[in-house]
Amino acid sequence: MANIKELRGRIKSVSNIAKITKAMEMVASMKLRKVQNRALSHGPYTRTLYGIMEHLARHVGQDAGRPLFQTREVKTIGVLLVTSDRGLCGAYNANVTAQVTRLARQLEAEGKGIKLKFYVIGRKGYTWLGRRGYEVVRFYAEPTLDQLDFKMARIASDDLVSAFLAGEVDRVVVMSTAFRTASRFEPTTVPFLPLSSLTPEHDTSFAASGHGDADSKAALNYLLEPDVESMFDAIVPKYLQTVVFDSMLESLASEMASRRMAMKGATDAASRMGKELRKKYNRARQESITKELLDIVGGASAVS
Amino acid sequence: MKTFRLRIVSPDQVVYDGDVEFVQFMGMDGSYGILANHAPLMTATRPGPLRVRTADGETTMVVTDGFAEMSGNVLTIAAEAGERADEIDVARARAAEQKARDLLANRASLAAEDALKAEDALRRAMVRQLVGQRTGGSADRG
Repeated sequence: MANIKELRGRIKSVSNIAKITKAMEMVASMKLRKVQNRALSHGPYTRTLYGIMEHLARHVGQDAGRPLFQTREVKTIGVLLVTSDRGLCGAYNANVTAQVTRLARQLEAEGKGIKLKFYVIGRKGYTWLGRRGYEVVRFYAEPTLDQLDFKMARIASDDLVSAFLAGEVDRVVVMSTAFRTASRFEPTTVPFLPLSSLTPEHDTSFAASGHGDADSKAALNYLLEPDVESMFDAIVPKYLQTVVFDSMLESLASEMASRRMAMKGATDAASRMGKELRKKYNRARQESITKELLDIVGGASAVS
Repeated sequence: MKTFRLRIVSPDQVVYDGDVEFVQFMGMDGSYGILANHAPLMTATRPGPLRVRTADGETTMVVTDGFAEMSGNVLTIAAEAGERADEIDVARARAAEQKARDLLANRASLAAEDALKAEDALRRAMVRQLVGQRTGGSADRG
C-alpha cells in the first residue's frame, strides 16, 4: 500500500529532525554552561568596578561638569542593540527587537521628531533593522559575539562615547537581554549615556556582594589621588566598556538558554509526532495484513 | 597587629580575598602603603608588584592597570590582571617583552596609540619578570 510507504518516509524524516534538534539542544546547553562560567567569574570584577564608579560619582556630585555626565535636549537617541548572529533560538531576537518597535512607536506618538540611530551587535538585529529601514550607524561583525572578546566591547563603547561627545546622539541606551536564570531572561533597555543616572540596580547588587558596610559610609570623604579628573578619565571608559561587555555576556547566555529551550521544544514535538505516525503506520500495516489474510482465506475456501 | 580585608579581582577571577596587615602597590603617582584603618582612598593603579603582609608572612603579586578603593577597612582592587608570584609564567613574560621591544624598535612606523600600547605591554612584561624571578617563579614552566 502506498500509504504505508509514505508513512515510513515521514517517520524517518521526523526522527532525523529530532536527532538534529537534540544535537543542537545539547550543543546549546554546553555553550550555555561555558558562558555562565565566564559570567560567573566576571561578576565580582564588574560589581567592584560599578561600586567604585558609584562611590566616585556620589563623592563628587553627579554633575561635576564632565561632558559625559551632561544631560541635554534629546534630538537623537543612539541604541546599542545586542542580538544573536544565528537563528533557531525561539523568540529571543523577536523579544529584543520588540523593544525597538515599542520605542519607535512611542517616539512617533510624542511627535517631537526624535530620531533613532543604531549600533548593532549580532547579524539578526542588523538584518531586522535593515529590512525596516532604520538607520544603522555601525554593525559590529568582527570578532563575533560568541567569541566574547573584550575588544569588541571596547570598540563599541568608544564609538558610542565619541558619538555622544560629537553631538551625533544625545542619549544612548543599550537594548539587550538580561539573563536571570537558565529559564528566565528578559529583554531590557538600560541607559548608557549620559552618566547622570547611575542605575540604582548596580548599586544594590554591589551592596549585596558583602559591601553593605562600605556602602553606608560612601558619603564620607575620599582621598582621591592624584585628583578627580584623572580618576574619572581612567575609570569612566573602563566602566562603560564593562557595561557593554556585561550586556554581551548576558545576551549570549540568554541566547543559548533560549536556543536550548526552543530545541528542547522541537525535539519533544518531533518525538510526539513520531509516536503518532508510528501508531498510524502500525495500524495501516495491520490492516493490510488482515486484508491479505482474508483474501487468502477467501481464495482457499473458493477453491475447495 | 590590626588587620583589614584585601580583595583583588580581575575580569577572570577573584585573585585574593583575605585579611592582611599591610599592602603595598603602585598607584598612578607612586607607591602606596596601606595599613588597617587607612582613610578612605581612591586611586588608579599602574602595573607593578603588590606586596602583601599577613600574620603568616609576606607574598608578592603582580597587578596591572586598575582601580583601588579603600573604604570601611576594606581595600578593593579591580585590575585588568592580577597574578600571584608563583603563577607567573616568566618565559611567557620574556616573550612578551621581546615582542614589545621588537615593535618599539621601529617606533617611527607606529601610530601613537600603538606605541603607547606596546610600551604598556613592555611595562607589564618587565614587572612580571621582576616579581616572578625574585620569588623564584616557575621560570622553567614555559
